Amino acid sequence: MTSPFANPPVDLRDDLSVALDRAWARLGEPGSWLNGEQRLAVAAEARQAWHCDLCDQRKAALSPYAVMGAHDLSGAVPGAWVEVIHRVVTDSGRLSERWYRQALTDGVVEDELIEIISVAVLTTTVDAFALGIGMAPPALPEALPGEPARVHAPEAKPGPGWAATIAPADAPADFADFYANGSHFFIRRALTLVPAETRRIWDLLNAMYLPDPRVHELDGIERAIDRAQMEFLAARASALLGCYY
Amino acid sequence: MRLRVSGQDTGNDYDLRAVTGEAGGIADVNHGELMNAFTEAICTRDLAAMAAARQGITSAMGERGMVDAAAVIAAFNAYPRIADATGIPLEDAKAEATEGMRAELDLDRLDTGPDE
Repeated sequence: MTSPFANPPVDLRDDLSVALDRAWARLGEPGSWLNGEQRLAVAAEARQAWHCDLCDQRKAALSPYAVMGAHDLSGAVPGAWVEVIHRVVTDSGRLSERWYRQALTDGVVEDELIEIISVAVLTTTVDAFALGIGMAPPALPEALPGEPARVHAPEAKPGPGWAATIAPADAPADFADFYANGSHFFIRRALTLVPAETRRIWDLLNAMYLPDPRVHELDGIERAIDRAQMEFLAARASALLGCYY
Repeated sequence: MRLRVSGQDTGNDYDLRAVTGEAGGIADVNHGELMNAFTEAICTRDLAAMAAARQGITSAMGERGMVDAAAVIAAFNAYPRIADATGIPLEDAKAEATEGMRAELDLDRLDTGPDE
């Protein structure tokens, strides 16, 4: 498949272009808990969520649980995954532990849940960027054959939020570098129940934002906007999503 | 919030109410109005507004500035969703460091609680 970001409407930084292509290609590869077809089905459902009437009604309601009904589906993912994907995409600021636990009660394995969240978020992120620079969301890649290993990370323990995560102190030798340079923020830990998936999404986010947000101004970092502008964009986008982490 | 830290580094005093869309503080940030319009358009997927903001930022800052702005906005379509979908709390040190800012912006009123 031709790289979807090979001919963008505007010039991209090389590292950003490479990271986007890599992330998009990985979308169709077998993951840690989902195979390529399942990952692409999650991506398609994440896109469908933007066109879901139930999600629109819930978004407008005082509480998302005040509106009952059925989601508008792409039809390719199990029912229990749909509520996960649609809420993450359309109303993430009002997600709750009740929502998280309900997914597990409905039969989603927690490791699967983390990979579903990651793929839905990655798809939404890449689409946001593509639309932002004036190109259509890229076509989904082809699914590559192969099955996921589905091996649970034994180092993961509950917390600090609802999901089990690997704490820096518990990181195995082949994952310790993920916490190098003292980057122990909880946000970095959030998806570590599935270490390889965590690496996949952070590989893209590092290129889009900053590999280490603790840097003060942008000495030695190639960006065409200043740090204050970056942080204004970051804070404003977070506020619009209802997130004040 | 890193915006305040950046202001301390550069000697600028930013009105943090800009991030909640409540104040004219947006003007304190270089091309703040355009940045705000671009962010709102991308986050709400308003294609017409996106096109207008993209053109405005490109005219004001060049194509590379527009691309880097789009990349940051896209990244912050990810971090909040990851945080909110996994329920990660604010680190104690960060909560302490941002106590004043959270009061200034009245952010704690927005805590949805554990079971909404």
